Amino acid sequence: MRRVAVIGVGVTKFGRHDRTSAELFAEAAAEALADAGVSPTAVQALYYGNVVGGETEKQLHTSPQAASVLGLPAVPTTRFETACASSHAAFRHAVMEVGSGVSDVVLVGGAERVLNVTTEESTEYFAYASDARWEQTLGLTFPGVFALVARAHMAKHGTTEEQMAAVAVKNHKHGTKNPKAQFQKEITLEQVMKSALVADPLKLYDCCPFTDGGAAVVIASEEVARKARRPIWVLASAAASDWMLIGDKRDLSRVPATERAAAAAYRQAGLGPQDVDVVELHDCFTIAEIVATEGLGLFEAGMGGVAAEKGWTSVGGKMPVNPSGGLKAKGHPIGATGAAQIAEIVTQLRHDAGGRQVDGARVGLTHTLGGNTATVLVSLFGRD
Amino acid sequence: MLTQKQFFEKAGAGELAAVRCGHCGALAIPPREFCPECSARAWEPTTLSGEGTIASYTVIRVAPRGRADEVPYAIAAVHMKEGVSLLGRVVDVPFETLKIGLPVRFRPLTKNGQTAVGFGPSAQTPR
Repeated sequence: MRRVAVIGVGVTKFGRHDRTSAELFAEAAAEALADAGVSPTAVQALYYGNVVGGETEKQLHTSPQAASVLGLPAVPTTRFETACASSHAAFRHAVMEVGSGVSDVVLVGGAERVLNVTTEESTEYFAYASDARWEQTLGLTFPGVFALVARAHMAKHGTTEEQMAAVAVKNHKHGTKNPKAQFQKEITLEQVMKSALVADPLKLYDCCPFTDGGAAVVIASEEVARKARRPIWVLASAAASDWMLIGDKRDLSRVPATERAAAAAYRQAGLGPQDVDVVELHDCFTIAEIVATEGLGLFEAGMGGVAAEKGWTSVGGKMPVNPSGGLKAKGHPIGATGAAQIAEIVTQLRHDAGGRQVDGARVGLTHTLGGNTATVLVSLFGRD
Repeated sequence: MLTQKQFFEKAGAGELAAVRCGHCGALAIPPREFCPECSARAWEPTTLSGEGTIASYTVIRVAPRGRADEVPYAIAAVHMKEGVSLLGRVVDVPFETLKIGLPVRFRPLTKNGQTAVGFGPSAQTPR
């Protein structure tokens, strides 16, 4: 495999928009191409993530639509759908296309539009990523899935609701330094603890919001990247899966797909968790961040909640997690999330993240989880 | 082989069906093509007792569209006595008594002709 670099990144403001997902992607892609300093005509393929376009926008075939709206109607393009991990899955496959020598410059990204429908509609559509016959018929929701994880983790490790709340407080604090974040205001532990129950023990402020937004990155071969201004190298990109049904997962306090994807990524890069300086991971719910920090090997099993509470995962702490504000504060436009996490890590490794910069960051990790923990992508990045 | 449709028809009649691998003895519910333990395709039908204990649980307060009149409702992952697990609604158990390890018993929940997996109190559930 050839070396591959990210040479440009772009992200829209996250929040509520009155534009289509394709328009949001096009804005992010134009920013990424300008950042890369390459002409749109240099793009040889588009790998695209979009999840609920069929439901919220009555739109399938979203990848050629996105390419057309961008003004690149002829590039080969495919939509990836692995629930919330879609554009990270797209990224991994794009890296393989460039790494294998098929293409030299590839655009990767995603977009989502959900705030044009009601919360109960989007709750239904997100639940489509659970099994239709065995789980949707129960009225299982995504907060419900992670509530089951939370209860199991609390029982096994003594994790507390206050420790989960500390994740929300920390990510909101980080979000205040991110001008693209949906929420740019601090919250208190008390506000989290007193917010309304969504799925016991998860409360409203344990949950990331519904979000409209787009994100894009430009990747390139080493030869092209050497001419770019600020290439950040892809050191690894790995995927793993797990059983679809909650009933088939033997230990709900863990996410085995995270552990498997992380092991594969560390092996590809020849690195370990101790080498990582900054992490963007999938905090769709506060407990998801706690379990992910453990599954990635950043902390021992059972220490994820302690790490948040003690400030170890804050910018300035020993293992900064989600300096962008994470899904919790930055927002979670599901098809765009993986690409947006990569954009943040690239920005961090360029030492260009302003008030949320992790000092001296040289190696960064992105982790994106799909739906009911059945899909996980982990990638590693490094600077020269 | 047991199809999904057959499983839920049996469930509606009160029978909790599963399959056991004729090669290695692994139990599976729902059925899959290959045995995940030994890759054999030698499934034999079996019936579970319906007895299990709660492995994790939640009470859903914000429901998907069409279920607003059902909230709040409890969902639990249940470890069945025979060693497999199933997700289901928990009914007739007060929310405040839900806990990990609580014994429950399979109970089909049929609405508009469609059966879903449910659990209610078992003979072992403390009253």
